[in-house]
Amino acid sequence: MSNIKPYEFMVKAQQQKDWIDGRGNFIAFAFFLGGISGGLYLASAYFDNLTGMFVAWLLSLLMGISYMIHLSHPFRFWRMFMKPKTSWIARGFIFIMLFIGLTFITLILRQWFPDATGAITTFKVLAGIFAFAQSIYTGFAVSYVSAIKVWNSAIVPVLFVTCGLTGGLAILLAITMAGDQSQLAMLENIIRVVLIALAIIIGVYLWNTTYSSAAARDAVKRLIGGSLAPLFWVGVFLFGIVIPIAISIATYYAGEASSGILITAIISEIIGGLALRFAILKAGVYTPLLPAD
Amino acid sequence: MRWGMAIELKRCIGCDACMLACKAEHFLPPNIFWNRVLIGEKGKYPAVTKLIYSVRCNHCAEPKCVKVCPTGATQQREDGIVWVDETKCVGCRYCMVACPYQMRSMYEDGDSQYFPGQELTEHEKIGKTLYPHQPGVVQKCVFCKERIDSGIALGLTPGVDRDATPACVIICPTKAIHFGDLDDPNSEINRIIKEKHGHAFHPEFDTEPSISYID
Repeated sequence: MSNIKPYEFMVKAQQQKDWIDGRGNFIAFAFFLGGISGGLYLASAYFDNLTGMFVAWLLSLLMGISYMIHLSHPFRFWRMFMKPKTSWIARGFIFIMLFIGLTFITLILRQWFPDATGAITTFKVLAGIFAFAQSIYTGFAVSYVSAIKVWNSAIVPVLFVTCGLTGGLAILLAITMAGDQSQLAMLENIIRVVLIALAIIIGVYLWNTTYSSAAARDAVKRLIGGSLAPLFWVGVFLFGIVIPIAISIATYYAGEASSGILITAIISEIIGGLALRFAILKAGVYTPLLPAD
Repeated sequence: MRWGMAIELKRCIGCDACMLACKAEHFLPPNIFWNRVLIGEKGKYPAVTKLIYSVRCNHCAEPKCVKVCPTGATQQREDGIVWVDETKCVGCRYCMVACPYQMRSMYEDGDSQYFPGQELTEHEKIGKTLYPHQPGVVQKCVFCKERIDSGIALGLTPGVDRDATPACVIICPTKAIHFGDLDDPNSEINRIIKEKHGHAFHPEFDTEPSISYID
């Protein structure tokens, strides 16, 4: 916060920078990775796609690494297990560790002990629970911050999970295209529904946020017409919604799509998901302390 | 026992003495402020009111920072003082994000100095020995808990005796800042808050601050 002029500190609306500038970029990236990792695991578990589950596990490891880079004292990371009763970061850290551990066991069982169906199902379901937890906690960690009105919304966790699911489904689509394509049509149908749901949730979130406070309204204005407009309209709206939905609708009517077009949609969705996390974290503004009523 | 402050806004002249006393007392590095003086205004010409608020951590009874801290580094003592255990902080900054008053700072550059390229001042040299700050951890006002603890150990009363009272309180040239025990119904601070209608700064944040402001 050193670039804030002393006489402007909390007298003007102040942008949140601790979770977006410098090392803060890594927590935004970790939130993104947590979302797509959880979404990819859930989708892969549903379609019983081993490669998808493995990639989800790798993405979760990457999330952990990104988290560590964000910390000033990463070697004290073990202390982050200490306060799960009240801290969403502590809860999230436990969810990530459990997801990584349970998915690892599931992968081992699936690969080398395929006859242990009972154990596979148990660990797959348990890992699925923590995949969901890993995906949704990022939203709760953000929405718990009552000081930033644009974040302090019950829709944020839903938005983050849905966005993570679209990214995860997109990656699974790429994995499916490279292998057995028998489930491709069904996967495309699910993606269409989730994409439309995501567009609606973003719309409801922005609409709802404008009514919560003046600071939140200003944040939405910055998103849709201010300094964050390029990130929102190009990153979130164009890449995250318009391009994937347009391709999705086109493939629905055409019946078949070329791999090039589908890969464009997949990359576009992933960029959109990343842009959404950065846009929301960047939009965070604190209510000025002066003038006080 | 719960330590608290009452700040009389009409007495405050915005001299920044509280901010400087805090910096000197805790040997705070450049760009780190545990105490700030906010100067704003409200209204439109010609009916404009200048606002001067001396602000610091509110040592809230319901502190968001304590709840969000994943490691337990941010703690609240029995006397209400919220402080950060530097040895436990991982630097995740969740407390900084969650504080609605934005009264926390991250001390990042351990080599920062007031006059870069020159020798450290005597004050900076003494500070590195007497009050070392660990880089990469979050910092905040601690209500001068060292003064309170050592004062009480000597049988002194915080808010009454200088040596047991926070530096910002005793430095104030207009005696705008009062300090004392909020749990003692007969304390001077409770009398002032009651008689002069002290109120919390932004009570809508719902954190029950231990600092009251008097208009």
